[in-house]
Amino acid sequence: MKQFQDAGERFLLDASELQDMGKKVAGVYCLFAPVEIVRAAGAIPVSLCGKREKPIADAEKSLPANLCPLIKSSYGYAVTDTCPFFAASDFLIGETTCDGKKKMYEFLGRIKPLHLMNLPYSADEPHALRFWYEEILRLRSFIEDSAGQNINNDNLRFQIRIHNKIRKLIRRISRFQATEKIPVSGSDMLSVMETKSFFVNPEKYIDLLEKFIAEMDAVAVGGFSRFEPDVPRILLTGCPIGKGSEKVLRIIEECGGAVVCMENCSGVKGLDLLVDEEEKDPFLALARRYLQIPCSCITPNTGRLALLNRLIGEYRVDAVIDLTWQCCHTYNIESRIIGDCVENLHRLPFLHVETDYSNSDVEQLRTRIEAFLEMARWSSSAQAALRKPGARFQLSG
Amino acid sequence: MPSAYDQMWEKLNLDLEAHEGLLAVLGKFYGDIYMSQQGRLKGMEYLDFVLSEVHGLRIKELQDAKASGKKVVGTFCVFVPEEIVLAAGAVQVGLCAGAEIGKAEAEKVLPRNTCALIKSFVGFKLAKLCPFIESCDLIVGETTCDGKKKAYEIFAEYSPVYVMEIPQMKAACDRELWKSEVGRFKSTVEELTGNKIAAGDLRDSIHLVNERRRVLQRLNRLRAAVPVPISGRDALLINQISFYDDPVRFTAKISELCDELEQRVKSGAGIAPDGTARLMLSGCPMAVPNWKLPYIIESSRAVVVGEESCIGTRNTRDLVQEGSATLDDMIDAIVDRYMRIDCACFTPNTERLDNIVNMARELGVKGVIHYALSFCQPYSMEAYKVEKALSAAGIPMLAIETDYSMEDVEQLKTRVEAFVEMTR
Repeated sequence: MKQFQDAGERFLLDASELQDMGKKVAGVYCLFAPVEIVRAAGAIPVSLCGKREKPIADAEKSLPANLCPLIKSSYGYAVTDTCPFFAASDFLIGETTCDGKKKMYEFLGRIKPLHLMNLPYSADEPHALRFWYEEILRLRSFIEDSAGQNINNDNLRFQIRIHNKIRKLIRRISRFQATEKIPVSGSDMLSVMETKSFFVNPEKYIDLLEKFIAEMDAVAVGGFSRFEPDVPRILLTGCPIGKGSEKVLRIIEECGGAVVCMENCSGVKGLDLLVDEEEKDPFLALARRYLQIPCSCITPNTGRLALLNRLIGEYRVDAVIDLTWQCCHTYNIESRIIGDCVENLHRLPFLHVETDYSNSDVEQLRTRIEAFLEMARWSSSAQAALRKPGARFQLSG
Repeated sequence: MPSAYDQMWEKLNLDLEAHEGLLAVLGKFYGDIYMSQQGRLKGMEYLDFVLSEVHGLRIKELQDAKASGKKVVGTFCVFVPEEIVLAAGAVQVGLCAGAEIGKAEAEKVLPRNTCALIKSFVGFKLAKLCPFIESCDLIVGETTCDGKKKAYEIFAEYSPVYVMEIPQMKAACDRELWKSEVGRFKSTVEELTGNKIAAGDLRDSIHLVNERRRVLQRLNRLRAAVPVPISGRDALLINQISFYDDPVRFTAKISELCDELEQRVKSGAGIAPDGTARLMLSGCPMAVPNWKLPYIIESSRAVVVGEESCIGTRNTRDLVQEGSATLDDMIDAIVDRYMRIDCACFTPNTERLDNIVNMARELGVKGVIHYALSFCQPYSMEAYKVEKALSAAGIPMLAIETDYSMEDVEQLKTRVEAFVEMTR
């Protein structure tokens, strides 16, 4: 676990060594940025999403207060030059996922070279894939120029295989939480998951993940559980979180819940989507895969419901908490659609929490979450009493 | 009081009691803000009449059109190409709403921190107050902003909604995307109406919509005279009504009004005393009956001489090029015209900054009031850039963020008065 917790520091050390040798670091803000392309040009991607409150006041000097804390934190770090990952980045990749980020990049582009990917929102319409494919090719040219290295198809295919493998391994790690005995806390799982955006060398990272899986296998054999047997099993969905912005996850577990699964960008969103390794044109394969990411910026975002339906069964979920950041319009509006699905289709308790990075509402959140977990516990024991083999499976169908 | 239209409204499934309340409030509000003005043009009587019949006679016309087999298409955005709707023999109406009345209903399905415009149209639907929405055979949404894009998913649970994808940048590939979306929209409208659009139909509708833009352009030129010959409120009302009214009749009536205005300009008469500060509005659209800010401004020794907004120059500035011979060329001309829209949903949208500065200079304004609806991220983020661009041109700007409620009226008045004082 220590290996995962120190990932950030090690990243900076390793990356700076490689940068001395002429390698470039690409700062990314979103799951939609195809890291395979970055790697295939010999560059190293790193996530720059801001997770702490500290730089927000500085961001608000030029950004409106009515923006989500992730955007304000990200911009605040950049403008105050207080994030070592931002400092280490040679160039940035943004995307037009939401209004706030799209317009924030206009400001960010003044600080570092920024390439903006234009994401279509009607992912199911035929124009979307054509358009996105062109955007992927446009990214390719930008990365090749910025990294000073051309991308050939073989190298890209190699990176596709590597990243598919990483996705599968992390997905497998996440499944340890699906069993009756829950071996690690949601907080620790977040530390593990977070490293997927902070590794320099993919082969070494795969090695680390495989060792961790071996360790976990051993723990699983021993039947160890980090929680009481009747703990309410919570699925956390919504906006991304990370170390520094994990207050809701922390409160859930402090109040006696177990976050067994995170359906968000920091969790398993996108991990099930693999790039087709057989497709003749690897860029097209990437375009197809990335366009399926079930982000709330897509309309209608049916993929998220499909994923949730699967995860609720897979992780034997007792209740769902939807965490959205204040002023994140897309996740906030979508919350009602998610709530309808959880409550009406799965008959499970659902709680929508809208908050920001500050600690001012911690006690209020604790009260709400405690009450909610009470309900979830009741519902979980009621469900357990009623549970017949396979019943959950049908529900999640 | 029972109305002659009760039966029609009942058929449209309106909440008659609440609707009567709405009309009463609207009438009083209109009386206070509009009928109290001095020296109004005679031509404004037409607008007074249209507004007084906005849920009456105009809806009756729509119902009659429907009875004769025509379809009604509702829109929320100046990106939806009306030329195509008209060419297919359908009627297009704007559905943007500017009243707070359905807010409580809207907040049952939308987050509170959604902009007032979105909450208003959702609220009008849920509270059964809008005969326009109920008259529509198709409601066209677009992916301009996060709030609208996601609200249409909710709205689609109650009404037949079709969503157009709007590009967010202006490269060749964006134009291509937009062209394919215009094509998809054309097929949808053709299917809805059962009318295949022929070159002649489209040529006529392009001309018709251009004519309406031309008359509004003429209005904008005339109103810029010194002294100011028409209030900003009246000019805004004309722009607002252009989204509801029959385009042929509207164009003819506003053309007559412009003749009258021209006479007034020649005579050198104005509606505001000497020393009234000329200001310009820029930012989010103001839909009927959102006259709050213009009224505050014009009660603060200032007059509005231009609106840089979708219910303003963003809708009327550019014409579709006429003279194309083939249907394909006409579609291209439409695509090009709509790609020029400088909505804040585009990035980096620098042309808007140029357009604002040019407009402010041409109008000779003392200052610009930037108006953003609370929680409208694209416009509130651009406000910062607009202020910089204007300040480089030596023009002061006041950034206002507000919604449809009346709670902040006094506070806004204080800020506007201070700004007007400063521009002297």
